[in-house]
Amino acid sequence: MTSPLYIIAVALAAAFLLGLLREQWRSLAYPVTLAALAFMSWLSASWLWALASGSASPVDIYTAGTAPPFAINLRMALPEAVLTLLINLTGLFSALYLKSALLARGRRGMAVLLVAIMALSGIVLTRDIFNLFVFLELVVIATGGLVLLSDHAHALSAGFKYLVVSQVISILLLIGIIFAYHATGTLNIDGMAEAVPGLQNAGASQAFELAFFLMFIALVAELKPFPANGWALDIYEAAHPAFSAIFSAGAGTAALYAVDKLLLIGGPAWLDMATGVGIVTFVAGNLLALPQSNDRRLLGYSSVAQIGLILAVLGQRDILGEDTYFIAGGLLLSHAVAKAGLFWLSGLLAGRQLVDWADLRERPMPVFAFVTFAAMLSGLPPFPGFYAKWELVHHLAGSGRLVLLALVLFGALIEAGYLFRWFGYILKREPPGEADFCRVIFDKPHRVLPVMVAVAAGWALAFVWGELASSLLGRSNLLLALPLLFALSFLLLDWLPAWVKNSLAIAGLVAFFAATWTDYDALRMIFAIIFTLGGALTLLASYHVHGRRVGFYPAAMLMFAGMVMLIRADTSFDFFAAWELLTVGSYFLILRGKHSEPHALSYILFSLGGAFLIMAGFAIAAQGAPQFALASLAHVAAPFAPWVFLLLAIGFMTKTAAIGLHIWLPGAHAEAETDVSPMVSGILLKAGLYGLMVLLLAMGKQQLYGIELTHVLLWVAALTALLGNLMAVFQEDAKRLLAYSSIGQMGYALFGLALMNHLGWLMALVFVINHYIYKAMLFLAVGGVAKRTGTREMYRMGGLIRLMPLSFIAVLVGIIAVSGVPPLSGFGGRWVFYNAILASDYRLPMVVLFLAGPIAFLYLFRLIYTIFLGQLKDELRRVKEAPFWIVLPQMIYVALLIAFAVVPGLALHRVDTYLNQFFPEGGLSWAGGEITSNYGYWNPVAIMIIVGVIFCTVFAWLLFVNRRAQPVKQFNIVFSAERPFRPETTHFAWNFFAPYRKALGFLTQPLVTIFWTTVTDLLHTAGDLGRRLYNGNGQTYAFHFLAFVVIVFFLVGL
Amino acid sequence: MQFEWIKIPYALLTLFIVVNYGMLLGAFIQKIGARVGRRRGVPIWQNYADLVKNFGLRTSITHGVMFYLGPVFRLTGGIGLLLFVPTIYGSEMFSNLSFAGDLILALYFVFFGTLGMALGAGESGHPHAAIGISRGLSQVTAAELPLALAVFSVALQYQTLSITDIVSAQQGGVLHWTLFTNPLAVAAAMLSFLGSMMRPPFDVVLAPQEIPIGPPTEYHSSYLALMQTNRAIFPVAKIVVYMNLFFGGAASWPVFFLKVFLIYMVSVFVGVAFPRFRVEQSIRWFLVWAVPLGILSILLA
Repeated sequence: MTSPLYIIAVALAAAFLLGLLREQWRSLAYPVTLAALAFMSWLSASWLWALASGSASPVDIYTAGTAPPFAINLRMALPEAVLTLLINLTGLFSALYLKSALLARGRRGMAVLLVAIMALSGIVLTRDIFNLFVFLELVVIATGGLVLLSDHAHALSAGFKYLVVSQVISILLLIGIIFAYHATGTLNIDGMAEAVPGLQNAGASQAFELAFFLMFIALVAELKPFPANGWALDIYEAAHPAFSAIFSAGAGTAALYAVDKLLLIGGPAWLDMATGVGIVTFVAGNLLALPQSNDRRLLGYSSVAQIGLILAVLGQRDILGEDTYFIAGGLLLSHAVAKAGLFWLSGLLAGRQLVDWADLRERPMPVFAFVTFAAMLSGLPPFPGFYAKWELVHHLAGSGRLVLLALVLFGALIEAGYLFRWFGYILKREPPGEADFCRVIFDKPHRVLPVMVAVAAGWALAFVWGELASSLLGRSNLLLALPLLFALSFLLLDWLPAWVKNSLAIAGLVAFFAATWTDYDALRMIFAIIFTLGGALTLLASYHVHGRRVGFYPAAMLMFAGMVMLIRADTSFDFFAAWELLTVGSYFLILRGKHSEPHALSYILFSLGGAFLIMAGFAIAAQGAPQFALASLAHVAAPFAPWVFLLLAIGFMTKTAAIGLHIWLPGAHAEAETDVSPMVSGILLKAGLYGLMVLLLAMGKQQLYGIELTHVLLWVAALTALLGNLMAVFQEDAKRLLAYSSIGQMGYALFGLALMNHLGWLMALVFVINHYIYKAMLFLAVGGVAKRTGTREMYRMGGLIRLMPLSFIAVLVGIIAVSGVPPLSGFGGRWVFYNAILASDYRLPMVVLFLAGPIAFLYLFRLIYTIFLGQLKDELRRVKEAPFWIVLPQMIYVALLIAFAVVPGLALHRVDTYLNQFFPEGGLSWAGGEITSNYGYWNPVAIMIIVGVIFCTVFAWLLFVNRRAQPVKQFNIVFSAERPFRPETTHFAWNFFAPYRKALGFLTQPLVTIFWTTVTDLLHTAGDLGRRLYNGNGQTYAFHFLAFVVIVFFLVGL
Repeated sequence: MQFEWIKIPYALLTLFIVVNYGMLLGAFIQKIGARVGRRRGVPIWQNYADLVKNFGLRTSITHGVMFYLGPVFRLTGGIGLLLFVPTIYGSEMFSNLSFAGDLILALYFVFFGTLGMALGAGESGHPHAAIGISRGLSQVTAAELPLALAVFSVALQYQTLSITDIVSAQQGGVLHWTLFTNPLAVAAAMLSFLGSMMRPPFDVVLAPQEIPIGPPTEYHSSYLALMQTNRAIFPVAKIVVYMNLFFGGAASWPVFFLKVFLIYMVSVFVGVAFPRFRVEQSIRWFLVWAVPLGILSILLA
């Protein structure tokens, strides 16, 4: 193996060579720089390969030929190999990226860059504290120079502020080193660590403590902790993005590793301090990033926060043990790759505001790059941060460090918030113009290449961490899960026309079900059918879209992949990973709607918040183990069980949109595309119900402070049903009406589950099946109408029955089914419901549900009347029936609804039997067509026949006596002795239930929306207040640093 | 309970009796109302005359398919409701088609006709129809609630949803009626009853003076005839449910006629004495006065 010393030697040699180059050979300078960096990268890579494959063992290099403490030694082990590779590659690609800037500044700039990269590698490699100081000084000086590569107006002052603060830091570090040397007699880091416990007298020990404090504070200050980081943020904002990439990915990495080495000396006493500084920085950094509108400054805050998190992880090594490097490494590499990639990406754009990133919108590759980076930073699967966060949270929960756990998740949620808000800007805001300018930049391969390399590195890391996690968790690599691979393959197929991809997607879903259907028990079977075959059915509607439909299929299939993985999961980890995947997929899907930017954001925030609660719940239940079988939720020990239940239940209820957590749903479902609404409403909501079923089956009834939690769930469910229905009544927008109706329906299903008896669960399953069929059908029908009429406002429509008869039939069947009127399938749900509540001990929540029931008639009638009946508008007289592919699935749904109404036993009989093992009492008996419970009976076939016969008889009679009825024109009505002539004034539709609003409208005060708006406003205000600390004044920054030192000093309590 | 073909003629016989009784009862009640107002009132056969006239009209128009189907839905709803409930307790002959479902079926089938009628009226395109429906639906959500609570209370009390079983539990004397064993539930249900009989103070839905008869405003000729037939059947069918649940059912036709008449008269007494509520007033009235009674009856059941 080539000695790692050459990393430093080659950089130095190349830097000298650059200085010695003759004038006429200057054009060689840039190739030499690149070659040197490439060689350094190759050297690190070869060490990494050798160390990881086991063909080489870690080496110590004695620079002066003698062992420490008499000479400086460098070490190359696995962490060093990884980190130097990261630093050198960042350097290499940044150098590539900086081509024009470096060529303009000449060879000196290149030499400084080489020195900077060399020094950063040196910090990682060295085991000598003074040598570390020297490398740090080199970094500082080089940074000061490299900042000037930027044309930004503030670059000079930012560099100057940086130099000032760095000198203060250096002085502290140097003094610390001197005293530490005095106390221990060595400069070698490992030597110091060995010497410290042997310090004899109290005086020496105390002196060393003070010395260590100085070293510690100096190196931690290099990590830009809150609040002593104003100078760093100015650099991020003002420097060239390629240098910011080095500053964030490279310098941050090196400084973290330096602190890690230093903590070896300090021992466990200093770990808490590191954690404290780290977590405060993490939360504050993210909070401060929230109100940012400048992209690079936001990335700066995000960098500060991420490094803070890793510092906190390093501080937790007492409980993390061997997993420290798995976690810290996962977070660090995710951060470094993503942040470097984002900084490079920012250099491709002209504008510095976040909204200016809308320039990327039409370009799939940069958008994909951004998605990759954002997912890496937010810790979404399958990227390393996901595994790292999972492990971290489990360790913290296992050791009872719940406050820290909560802070980590809180910070992560804020971070996801601003990253996804940003992504929303990219896809949904209008590009600021000057598109030509952008195109020029995109044509430069030396700037695009680094971004793409970062993307590739991100996915490679995802694979590597998947492998590492697979050995840790004893499972196969998540990235290689078949459904996920299938979904990701659509990224590569995105150039195909939409109908080909649609056929592939449908075939995939059906084939997956065909291949796995024997694996499911009766309960899972229902969900499996809805998720796969149901998904395939809704996808039929997608044939109506022509063109390529870029980005739709990866997102849709990611959601479906997550859902099938969810029902197949049997461990907490698999379950959670699937949950995150389906959340992310559905977010991208929802975001596709024309006006869905704010709604998609609130969806992902509620979902991620819910997901974090689920993760915390799993972690507490695991009690230190990295994962557990879902079934063993039943065995969670007593003091934790109710809390686990609470966390998981709230997490799942974010998906079913229980009241209080529902505000994302109406917008998200209403603004989604025509064929997306049925997917996210009819299918996706069931994932939350499935989660609740798993939870309730395993944990059953739990008590917290004497309150039975399922009783609380009953109330939540009843209020959800009531308020969902009530809100639906007052909507003017047809899709919003349906969306609120979904909230109400989910309330019913949740109510059934919370009853915790046999029939309650059966009722929930009837609602699961029914809601899938009729809500998918209604969303398609209304979507088709909206497509043809160009509006979703119902009062603008009217009289469409003759023009869109098939859509009308679908809506008619749909509303009869939703309302629960016999003979259609909704009645089955109502019948089981009444039987279920008779067997329950709770009575008051039923009252609320009774109130909710008839309210459904209001909005359902309004839906069909204002759209299809009443007066046709002049501008809609030429409207055609909805496209064939939107109507076709509706007709299939109509057939399904009627089939399910006549023979509900097909689906329910098996489930009924299956439920016997959990709720042995109160099952139904199925004899012929008749279904009997302990209380009543019901014969769906007979009902259908009787109603059919009576209806046909009366109809035939009317046809006979009324055979000469004459069809009349639109306005031929008895109207106050006049003939109305304007459909707009004759169609009674706007504010249809005005009297009802007068009576009960007070219940629809948007209290929940006000609550959540206040929460986000508070966070923004907090962030904004914090931002005022950073006024750009160097003196203020110096004061911040001083305050930081003093605060830490007192906290340490020396 | 099983289906046998003989049930069909028996059910038709019930229907025949109820239609005629309903026609006569309707006119009789109208006459009582008129006499209270010091008017003479209609002759007792008036409904027959109307029916014949409406079927005999030679011209009729239609506004479309749903307009045509509206009265069909309406009448199917009325007949279905009647036939899903056993009429005479202890009589296999007049147990009708109740083998198809229990109390819940009857309760939900009430809405079948309402919904169909609303759709038909909606297609007429007449704003008064739409206004009437808007009022009617708004009111019914509040008016049905006490009944639902009372039914739940009764089902809890007797631990069954089968109407026959509920009636049989009330046999053996007047004091065994739900009226006396669960007075709160009956009180709530009877208040709800007022709301569903289309009489003052809850008749703003039809409101003859301001939105000429509301939903059915465009209906005429044979459509109206079907709806008139339903108007004879439906109140009786609904009262049968009340009678069975709360007043011990009826073991013979004379008792049946008497009980139905007396229950009907409750709404007449209130109707002739009180003026009309606006919709929001009636919603609040039901929520404030009737619903708490229902809740109490559930908690005490």
